[in-house]
Amino acid sequence: MPTATAAKKKTVRINGCVASAQAAKYADVDVIAAYPIRPYTATMMALAQMVANGELDAEYIVADSEHSQLSIAHGASSSGARVFTGSSGVGVQFAYELYSPISGSRMPVQMMIADRTLDPPGDFGSEHTDALSTRDMGWLMGWACDAQEAFDNHLIAYRIGEDKRVLLPQMVCQDGFFVSHITTDVELPDSGQVREFLPPYKHPYPLDPRHPVSHGPQIMPEQGPPLQLERARAMEDSMAVIEEVHKEFGEIFGRHYDPWLEEYKTDDAEVVFFLQGGHGVTARFAIQHMREKGLKVGMVRLRTIRPYPTDRVCEVLSKFKVVGVIETNMALGSPASGGALYADACAALYEAPERPLVISFMAGMGGEAIVLKEFYWMTEKMIQAQKRGKIEKRTHWVGFEE
Amino acid sequence: MATYIQIDPTQKLEPFKSVKKLPLEEYFTSGHRTCQGCESALVMKMMAKAAGPRSIILGSTGCMYVANTTYYSTSWVVPWMHTQLGSSGSAALGTSAALKVLMRKGKIKNEPINVIAFCGDGGGADMGVGAISATLTHAEYNSLILMYDNESYANTDIQLSGSTPWGANTTFSSPGKMKRIMHRRWKKNMAGMMAAGHPECKYVATICMSYGLHGMNSIRKALAIGGPTFIHSLDPCPKGWDYDPYLSHEMGELAVNSGVWPLYEVENGVLRLTGRTEQIAAGKIRRVPVRDYLLKQGRFAHFTNDDIDYFQSKVDDMWEKWLIPGVIPFRKDVEADPPPAN
Repeated sequence: MPTATAAKKKTVRINGCVASAQAAKYADVDVIAAYPIRPYTATMMALAQMVANGELDAEYIVADSEHSQLSIAHGASSSGARVFTGSSGVGVQFAYELYSPISGSRMPVQMMIADRTLDPPGDFGSEHTDALSTRDMGWLMGWACDAQEAFDNHLIAYRIGEDKRVLLPQMVCQDGFFVSHITTDVELPDSGQVREFLPPYKHPYPLDPRHPVSHGPQIMPEQGPPLQLERARAMEDSMAVIEEVHKEFGEIFGRHYDPWLEEYKTDDAEVVFFLQGGHGVTARFAIQHMREKGLKVGMVRLRTIRPYPTDRVCEVLSKFKVVGVIETNMALGSPASGGALYADACAALYEAPERPLVISFMAGMGGEAIVLKEFYWMTEKMIQAQKRGKIEKRTHWVGFEE
Repeated sequence: MATYIQIDPTQKLEPFKSVKKLPLEEYFTSGHRTCQGCESALVMKMMAKAAGPRSIILGSTGCMYVANTTYYSTSWVVPWMHTQLGSSGSAALGTSAALKVLMRKGKIKNEPINVIAFCGDGGGADMGVGAISATLTHAEYNSLILMYDNESYANTDIQLSGSTPWGANTTFSSPGKMKRIMHRRWKKNMAGMMAAGHPECKYVATICMSYGLHGMNSIRKALAIGGPTFIHSLDPCPKGWDYDPYLSHEMGELAVNSGVWPLYEVENGVLRLTGRTEQIAAGKIRRVPVRDYLLKQGRFAHFTNDDIDYFQSKVDDMWEKWLIPGVIPFRKDVEADPPPAN
């Protein structure tokens, strides 16, 4: 068990993008693959300055596309480097081809995502559809709700992904603008503590002429099932490592995160919001207000969506009468005909002895802020459903209904 | 003057003196399942031999991935990695950058290691051209991109690529009752484009492994010179070009001797025609008519005399009208518009 060294931590006022860049610096990454797209690009701007100032010794490569960014990351990681890259919106999708090969070759590349809507509408706001559309590609994935959590998640994700029991790439996500461009206090740790928590990366099978290996060979169909099973098991088995690493992080740095879910005022709650990312901060505030009015409302914020904490979600959400899923993503034609989070939540709840009513709220689309009165409106819908004992309809588009 | 570009030391790779003096060790061996007469497999073997054991080879999707690197029977003795179809350039860049930083940080032994990424004409001239172009501008990273050009997507059943010659019969351009010539695009001039467009790239060459020693020595030069380099290899393909596999070697010779495939290298910005091409340019030997090359291949069997004449005229243009014959298609003179038809 690592022990905390004399802590030389400091508190700085930075936004989510810079927090991510700081985390990459503390992780002493070897290769950075950059390409500009708003809003994540501020992370790469900060890293360029750090490399220029000699604060970080890394190869900073400006790629010619996101596809190249991830290809650079793949090659660099396969050669044994700790790699940092990132993107937003359509950029995440331009690189799509590489996600499965990177997880398939078990390369713990880390990618920072600051969400942005896809086209259309292509505005600069945050919708989680960019990263969520890649959620089943074998990458560990989770959302931060503020800059501090983003910083912490990067270090935690490297440690999990590089664990020899896991060896999987990670998408460390934060809402564009709501997190990436809002400045808050962030505690930066003592770098000695980070070295203890996150030792230098050593891949077991790098491309090395002394020990030649072939990565990613062509296989015959009959060789497919075991290879796919291996990757599926790596994802499943990562769950124990995820819990272990979060526990250790808390012990060293003093910030204790539940790896899967943040529960806010759920002890006596009857209706809860189920969401991920930066809107959780507004939700807490709205819940405080509604609590003053005597409404038994709470929030469950999903911190890790891949691997999905099915048992935990089932156990926690089945305590409530009504669950209101706030999507902030588009899953057109999906089971709720709204967002993607609903289907996962319902699947997790299926085996619960008593299931809550589940409603999908399409809110924050196009990166709109979800304002307090919308939280009140959604709470009202949940309470109505609770009284009636059934939902009015599966999906509400918030702001388009009375 | 200050040095702005830090190129790491490369291996000393002197040219091989003769075929008889080649090392016996092979780094691309059994285990592959390429077609009989596959010249690209020969290119892989020669490339690995020329590079030697201190090499990392990356292969983008294509024949030389699908047929060469079957799980449990890899033919690569040196470390090898699959990259995506359009990723040869960027994966080479990432690999080279990783070696550079890991050596600088003392995480791996500091020694020169060759990084080679190969791609077919589909992966190189079509999908991956942007990434290759980008890599050739990253002057600090040692790598060789080798494009093995069998002039079609041969692994997926012979579909035309941007590098397929005009008029060829492919499964995307089969002659039909109404249209004899379905493929009406002229072959992309990849080596010329890479040489002309990337002033920091120290070495670009065209090769054909019918001239094996020449090809291997080009590869050694590309690896030893430092920085990113590019080689375009023309590889006759019995399946895609439709000829008897025993003719592969002869087909390569005909491509060079007909002037269809000029051999040259651009070393530190200096252009030199090489091999038989140099002799053709010097007037020591005459170009063989393209008819002799085309009609040995089933993919041109539907050509009429007019088609052959057109093909010949385009090759003649390349030799007679290009500012740098066979290399850069800028014209020497402004050609007058043809007189209007009455």
